[in-house]
Amino acid sequence: MRRTKVCFVGYGSTEYSRKSEASALSYYADAIRDALRQTGINKKAIRGFSITTQASPDYSPHVAEQLGLEVDWVLNGDYGGAGGVMSVRRAADAIECGHIDLAVLVGGNSFDRSTPTQRQLEYQRGNFVDVFGYGGPNSLMALIQRLHMEQYGTTLEQIGKIAIAQRENALNNPQALFREPMSMQDYLNSRMISDPIRLFDCVMPCSGAECVMLASEEKAKQITDKLVYLVTDAEISHYQVANMLPDKTTFGQKVVGERIFSEVKREDIDLFEIYDDYPIAVMIQIEDLGYCKKGDGGKFVNAHDLTYRGDFPVNTGGGELSVGQAGLAGGYLHLVEALRQLRGEAEGHQVKKAERALVTGIGWLNYGRNLGTTAALVMERRK
Amino acid sequence: MAEARMPQKSLPKVNKVDEPFWTGAADGKFLLQKCKSCGKVQFFPRVACVDCFGDLDWIEAKGTGKIHTFTLVRVPRNPAFKDETPIYYINVILDEGVIVESKLVGNTKEKVKMGDRVKVVFQETHDPQIKLPCFELAG
Repeated sequence: MRRTKVCFVGYGSTEYSRKSEASALSYYADAIRDALRQTGINKKAIRGFSITTQASPDYSPHVAEQLGLEVDWVLNGDYGGAGGVMSVRRAADAIECGHIDLAVLVGGNSFDRSTPTQRQLEYQRGNFVDVFGYGGPNSLMALIQRLHMEQYGTTLEQIGKIAIAQRENALNNPQALFREPMSMQDYLNSRMISDPIRLFDCVMPCSGAECVMLASEEKAKQITDKLVYLVTDAEISHYQVANMLPDKTTFGQKVVGERIFSEVKREDIDLFEIYDDYPIAVMIQIEDLGYCKKGDGGKFVNAHDLTYRGDFPVNTGGGELSVGQAGLAGGYLHLVEALRQLRGEAEGHQVKKAERALVTGIGWLNYGRNLGTTAALVMERRK
Repeated sequence: MAEARMPQKSLPKVNKVDEPFWTGAADGKFLLQKCKSCGKVQFFPRVACVDCFGDLDWIEAKGTGKIHTFTLVRVPRNPAFKDETPIYYINVILDEGVIVESKLVGNTKEKVKMGDRVKVVFQETHDPQIKLPCFELAG
């Protein structure tokens, strides 16, 4: 749908750590503090709050209470990796309805072992997947990648090019856990995890948090002169659910893309923050969103420069693959990087013309198909 | 955390919805659900037809199909499975036209290719009540 009156007014990030056992709550607080500093907003002005996390039992009212937030709107925005984009959609609805004029949306995770940790596997994952000794998401995406390679002749080098370009984007991003250059040999020789998925196809789990602030246009104009509008957004959950022989190499992003690009032109997007739990997932989304034919993703990445200097900049800060995946902050990383770019604040990896960004989220690898939740939005900088 | 103390291989937590399936498996039968209204066959077990929301019957599958895609698991989510690695985790298209997730077992599994014919075999677990529907290359 088309949005006209909702703006992103700021963002906040924490450092990422592979070891820190600081509480998840303190990570959320740090991300919010960072956004408050940037915007100059008083905490009491926040009237809407959403939390996206797998750290149980961090339900949103509990977290809001911990952080001392008295709010008129609260959301438990757990939609897997689509949690960032899907929470933005719901906050935008609440703002358009007039329930609130300012919301802070947070995603995060930590290795804190002192509180109850991950939620249980859902029933079908527990009873019909885990019992065979599967390797978590790595195995489920490996099934999809092998099909893509077999059906379309996609090569490891084409898939690796995505990981390598994103690493190049990360070299000047101080938040990234991985800032060493990666060569094709490094990629191809990385340890096999769940064939054909290798170590350098996988994200590094870490502690960290990200947040974005969303406001009504009127409120936004009081907060910042760097106005970034939410232009259009769409989602679909459980694409192909009733199909017992689904196309595993087509995600719900096919439908999402049709909706998004009925409102804006594909060629008007300057940069692409595409949810990257795996490079193959980026390639498939490029196809599904209509930038090339299904199966031509390999040729497409060969024909384009995916770095922040390139003609098709993808995951310009390194993405989850090079920055790290702080649990469900993964879906927020892409939103925050898009905002950095559109506000001209991506020092060292700034895209030259950055007026319009596409941000996607995918989540919930599911039984026999592919992704349970898929969503995308377009944001635009206006002077 | 219980898991940290003594890792055990994961077993299904049988529930009201999938109990007939596991009872069938213990008996050497691979059961699927079939819609009483529209005839659609589905898996995994649910409370209603995914297409028309109709009531469901259980039917016995032939237990044969072909490899749709596969992966060799080197790092299982549950470390208790480490002794079986690499685990040949598979998606099978059963002849009834549904995708089933499982693992390939048997001494010819290393030869697996996409499209290979497979047949179900029921593997014993550390719970005498539970047998797992795994697959072997046919012929």
